[in-house]
Amino acid sequence: MCMSAIDTLGRGNTFVRTHPSLSLVFLVGFALGVDLVHGLYTGRIPLENVSRLFWNGLLVGLILGLAGIGLSMTYSILNFANFSHGDLITVGAFSGWSVTYLLAGAGVTEFGTRLLIDANLNVTVLGDPVAVVAGLVLASILTILIALVVDRLVYRPMRDSSGISLLIASIGVALVLRHLVAFVYRAHTRGVTGSERVDILPVLEGTGDVSVNTATLMIVAVALMIGVHLLVQRTKLGTAMRAMADNQDLALITGIPTERVVTWTWILGAGLTGAAGFLIVLERGTLDFNIGWGLLLLIFAAVILGGIGSIYGAIGGGLVIGLTQSLSTIWIPSDFATPAAFSLMILVLLFRPSGLFSGVTTA
Amino acid sequence: MALLEVSGLDAGYGDLQILEDVDLEVDEDEYVAIVGPNGAGKSTVMKSVFGLATYMGGRIAFDGEEIGELRPEAIIHRGLGYVPQDDNVFPSLSVEENLEMGAYILPEVPGDRLREVYDRFPILEARKTQTAGNLSGGQRQMLAMGRALMLDPALLMLDEPSAGLAPDLVEELFDRIDAVNDAGTAILMVEQNASEALRRCDRGYVLVQGRNRYVDTGESLLENEQVRQDFLGG
Repeated sequence: MCMSAIDTLGRGNTFVRTHPSLSLVFLVGFALGVDLVHGLYTGRIPLENVSRLFWNGLLVGLILGLAGIGLSMTYSILNFANFSHGDLITVGAFSGWSVTYLLAGAGVTEFGTRLLIDANLNVTVLGDPVAVVAGLVLASILTILIALVVDRLVYRPMRDSSGISLLIASIGVALVLRHLVAFVYRAHTRGVTGSERVDILPVLEGTGDVSVNTATLMIVAVALMIGVHLLVQRTKLGTAMRAMADNQDLALITGIPTERVVTWTWILGAGLTGAAGFLIVLERGTLDFNIGWGLLLLIFAAVILGGIGSIYGAIGGGLVIGLTQSLSTIWIPSDFATPAAFSLMILVLLFRPSGLFSGVTTA
Repeated sequence: MALLEVSGLDAGYGDLQILEDVDLEVDEDEYVAIVGPNGAGKSTVMKSVFGLATYMGGRIAFDGEEIGELRPEAIIHRGLGYVPQDDNVFPSLSVEENLEMGAYILPEVPGDRLREVYDRFPILEARKTQTAGNLSGGQRQMLAMGRALMLDPALLMLDEPSAGLAPDLVEELFDRIDAVNDAGTAILMVEQNASEALRRCDRGYVLVQGRNRYVDTGESLLENEQVRQDFLGG
């Protein structure tokens, strides 16, 4: 055996002895990788399944990432974990789809039925493009308005309170928002969108296609993420947000109008969250008042896994959680998909306690 | 009329009173040092001017105008710059972004001021794309001063600028502060290195237990036997 191979084995041996748990994780990952390749080669795992699961995971990941950016921003600028964030998603979903239904169903059904999204119009992106775009934009704007009102009434008077007090207040806000939505729209689940499967984005020959709704979600989510990146890194406001995330007192004595930056943080974070709420429904096709609350835990997992406070951490964490949840069903029953994603989060945090992107500049 | 006028100031943190009846003046172009033992309330004077300590009474005026109730951005707008002792740069921002934040209240970054700051502290230009968190202690102090100078303040307040710096860097830093003062900016400096501060300043205040104890020219305070014994180690 040549010297370099002996050296490599020696280094591997040392690594296993010094990092036994990490070695076990690598071993399990390697075994799963080998099994996947073997399964694809022998036909035991159909390529079409893997492709479908990958796209599903990517979609969920993009939604979690988009919604997580707002959560991460409010954490880094306002120093609290906002538990009402999930219900801002719900607000965005309901308000946006109300607008879409009002426009798409004009002249077809009554105003009230459309406003409460009860008309069953089966809206599609290609069939009602103007209504969908208007719904997306208004979902953002209305969520921003709600977030600013909540900040004015609840969080601003508590600006100097501890993170725990603000967290508890945000749970109260979450309950109020959710039950207001349930009161106005009632608590049933409704079908909202129609399906349009068009072969507009062939992935691999024979591996299926992507629907127009899915493609819309992906394009809009990625565009919004690029937009946030440019805003945070290239504009004066974005630099002030990063400065405030670094040191609020210093920002104050440097002359940065901190309250104005906080307002813009809500505008940006809530705008993205409202858009995420609208897009989730575009993909899922159904809507109920628990939609955001159900996602909140996964969004927290994504944000913590990525490194709370970093917008890139939120995006990266979202993709890791989404893909793990989806691809894990190759090996385990789908009931265990979410626990698998959380297990991966715990594993990552064991080795990198402050998350994958900790220390990367943020909003 | 003095540029900065503090009279009968009572201040502290929460319910804890630190300063009692403190008077202080800084004239245009003047170089004033505040020295005194640890816990004397030296930094609290500066924090009070910027509303970062709890105001309990007295008067703080800048250029003849009462500023006690103003927000920090309004105080900065009137020509007062402040460099705190610790955590005085934004570590995740680049050096140039730190300087740009110093001019946030202006619609655009003044190119001539940025040029002047780079001429005054050439190391900052050499490191302008580096994140401030990677700078050495001395470079951070220069960056913090540079950021405060971006608005060409009439008065620059420096809180213990030499804290934690190696002796050779301290000398260099004090030379640069002298140069800023020579260029027409008044300086109010809190300093633990009392001998050096009093040697360089026009006027000095010795603060003890939150009260004015001595006020005189720097030179006279250095020669004052009592001051030498009590605060300058003989």
